[in-house]
Amino acid sequence: MMAAKQEADSQNSIPTASAPAAPDSTALSMSVYAAALASLPGMTPRRLAAVLAANEPERVWRLAASGLPVSAPGQAPLAADLMHRQSEAAAALDLNELACRLAASGVEVAVLGQPEYPPALAGDHEAPGVFFWRGDLDLLRRPRVAIVGTRRATRYGVEVSRELGRNLAAAGVVVVSGLALGIDAAAHAGALDVSDGGTVAVVGSGLDVVYPRSNNALWHRIGCRGLISSEAAMGAAPEAWRFPVRNRIIAALGQVLVVVESHARGGSHHSVVAAEQRGRTVMAVPGSIRSSASEYPNQLLADGCPPVRDADDVLVALGLSTAQVAWPGEVGSPGSRPRTPALSPSGRNDCSRLGVRSAAVLEVLGWEPASLGDLVGRSGLAPGELSVLLAQLDCDGWVVNQGGWWQRVGPSR
Amino acid sequence: MIAAVPSATLLGVDGRPVVVEVHVMKALPGFNVVGLPDAACREAQDRVRAALSSSGIVWPNQRITVNLAPVGVRKGGSGLDLPIAIGLLVAAGELPEGCAAGFGFLGELGLDGSLRPVRGVVPMVAAMACDRVVVPCASAAEATVVNRHPVCSASSLVELLTCLKGEQPWPDPPPSYSAPTLPGPDLAEVRGQPLGRLAVEVSAAGGHHLLLCGPPGAGKSMLAKRLPGLLPPLEGDDAFVATSIHSAAGLPLPADGLVVRPPLRAPHHGASAVSLIGGGSGFMRPGELSMAHGGVLLLDEMAEFSPVVLDALRQPLEEGVVRVCRARASAEFPARVLLVGTTNPCPCGQGGPAGRCRCSVASRARYLRRLSGPLLDRFDLRVLVGRSDVAALTGSEGGETTAVVAERVAAARHRARLRGVRCNAELSARRLDEIGALTASAGRLLEHQIRSGALSGRGLHRVRRVALTLADLAGREAPLGEEQVGLALALRVEVIDPDATR
Repeated sequence: MMAAKQEADSQNSIPTASAPAAPDSTALSMSVYAAALASLPGMTPRRLAAVLAANEPERVWRLAASGLPVSAPGQAPLAADLMHRQSEAAAALDLNELACRLAASGVEVAVLGQPEYPPALAGDHEAPGVFFWRGDLDLLRRPRVAIVGTRRATRYGVEVSRELGRNLAAAGVVVVSGLALGIDAAAHAGALDVSDGGTVAVVGSGLDVVYPRSNNALWHRIGCRGLISSEAAMGAAPEAWRFPVRNRIIAALGQVLVVVESHARGGSHHSVVAAEQRGRTVMAVPGSIRSSASEYPNQLLADGCPPVRDADDVLVALGLSTAQVAWPGEVGSPGSRPRTPALSPSGRNDCSRLGVRSAAVLEVLGWEPASLGDLVGRSGLAPGELSVLLAQLDCDGWVVNQGGWWQRVGPSR
Repeated sequence: MIAAVPSATLLGVDGRPVVVEVHVMKALPGFNVVGLPDAACREAQDRVRAALSSSGIVWPNQRITVNLAPVGVRKGGSGLDLPIAIGLLVAAGELPEGCAAGFGFLGELGLDGSLRPVRGVVPMVAAMACDRVVVPCASAAEATVVNRHPVCSASSLVELLTCLKGEQPWPDPPPSYSAPTLPGPDLAEVRGQPLGRLAVEVSAAGGHHLLLCGPPGAGKSMLAKRLPGLLPPLEGDDAFVATSIHSAAGLPLPADGLVVRPPLRAPHHGASAVSLIGGGSGFMRPGELSMAHGGVLLLDEMAEFSPVVLDALRQPLEEGVVRVCRARASAEFPARVLLVGTTNPCPCGQGGPAGRCRCSVASRARYLRRLSGPLLDRFDLRVLVGRSDVAALTGSEGGETTAVVAERVAAARHRARLRGVRCNAELSARRLDEIGALTASAGRLLEHQIRSGALSGRGLHRVRRVALTLADLAGREAPLGEEQVGLALALRVEVIDPDATR
């Protein structure tokens, strides 16, 4: 009865009224039904995948709209009030309008099991039932690395993340991340620094809900030059539970997972667990033992994960490194191959070109952020003299000042 | 008969002369006060009636009209009790007219005929147009600060009348008791904190507003409270204005009357805008900002203040006066202060560089964003204060004393005075261009900052002013070298990360 009402509703929106359902519903593709299903209340990613595994989207839609139970293998039956809310939500949804909205925003919908569904994800045991995407889906056919980390990143983390993103993209690797603040945004931005760099964002909200707002520009750049995707329906709010859940998609898409920075309890744990379940290589960027933002990657290193010292380490793990070609005898032991040290004695990182006093300031600064007060204490120099040396180092690009904290910058900023 | 007695009333922190005219005539008995009296002033009739009767004077059973001239000015407070009573006695013929001639009166009457002090004696006495002034004993010390009229005082109406009639000499004013002024806290008590000490010194020398940002217990408030001690004592007009404000606000004056030590006001962060700026309906009081005139206004835990209250400070800080306008009256309060703010770097208080504490990027930005950009811009000096290391805290070696630093500050201020300003913060941009030339290398440092977007045009002037103060402290002449400019830049930290506030 509810289904009939729903169809009558959708008929009403079109001038040619009286005939029942048929002409309208054939005009709508399977993907629109799937997109509509994803937006129903209580339709968690797991449930959605389960119902779609057993039924056609259109049939599920009609059952849900009429408040009837849908078979979902392995899932508990829905509570009565939730079924009622689903049927109400379905009645309020205009499928034609949804189809127009998808088309207008350039968002495509892939249903698990259909040929257009990305193969990189199709084999996953927790693959999303419905996959929304915009941009270049072919990126998922190239080698991919997931770069993840905290929103509360330090300058070091942001720099390293951007550098990894840039260098991996230059090597033809696609950078997969979550388009959150901090490490994620830096990784995407790094990949976009390269003219043909590919990057894939898996976000937690609907593809028409930009979150966080401050990533707006990056969001649209990725939509144009890379691939932005989500399993959340159009209009879905960035609810807190969606982020750890989408982390499994990031882990599944990346052939290697790199943790750049993460606090002791952070979302990166979900990504790492998901990556380990899938047998992906998990790598970690070493950080200071005094930095709480490096606590988790350092823990991973202690647990035996390979360290990431530069993009080459990741390329080796992917089996793409040139180092393997140059030193075939040492394949699989990346630690022993000759490498350019992080502070190469070439170009602008040549400390030897600095004055004695400037070099001494760099020495006491180290790689940890420090305030001017700290440095006065450590160096014994007068504040005036010290600030001149720091200002000169700043001019020459050796250090930066962020909120009063002086920090040495990496080699390839 | 009619009598006219000079007196004064208080408007904000200014005294306004008032002539109390009393007319007594044979008609239906009554007592009327006209001429825009406020409630306290209107109640005067009941206090005067009781005080006269307690003093054994027969109430004239006639029609009494009191007019407070000029009629257009609002009169407030109880200071007009005494002139009304004297005018009434003269008009009723109880006191020979010649006895009160040339005297001005000010004071509140008790029901028992005693004379009680009122607030604002200094500005009111300064405004009175008469040859001699009579005030209650307790206000005598305050009245003599004005040093314009001979001051007489009495403790009761009876005593006053006998003195006026010449039956006994005026009593000596009782020695005013006020707490001996203790020396302020000394800078030597601050352990470690080389940068914080420097910032306080530069702030005092150049009159630059100072923001101290650091974790709890780092010594931010300790440093700030030692700043007034570094400022030169108030002189001449400045001291008198500060004394007037103290008097009008009802604050106790120092033992020798004049406020010469730069005041320190540190209102709690729950303060309302009116309590900080001044105002109130009708009878306007100076706010904390004005009470700190010539000294330091310390806003401890600045981010906890209401943003509306803080933003109300912006315009007075720029102009040095507060103009409070109400429907009934407007007043102008002097408000030339050195603003010192302290704040934690983030909600958890621990601070440190981004990503190191448990506050998210957004919550850090939100916390300090309560301090609006324009307000932060007014702080020429923004310094991170960290916790001192153990050696400095436990060591027996103190830093320089307040006296030593104050000497350097005085020398730097002297150089500023030769340029025609009180301190370098008051230098106009044009004057700064004339005297604050930069060496080539110093110019390059600034150029880099501007090009990287870290410094705006206005910021540039502020950095140059601070650099000039640093040169003054070091006893160096222009052009400003890179040491001064580098340090001025380093003392101007962007406490809000611009990346986080998009």
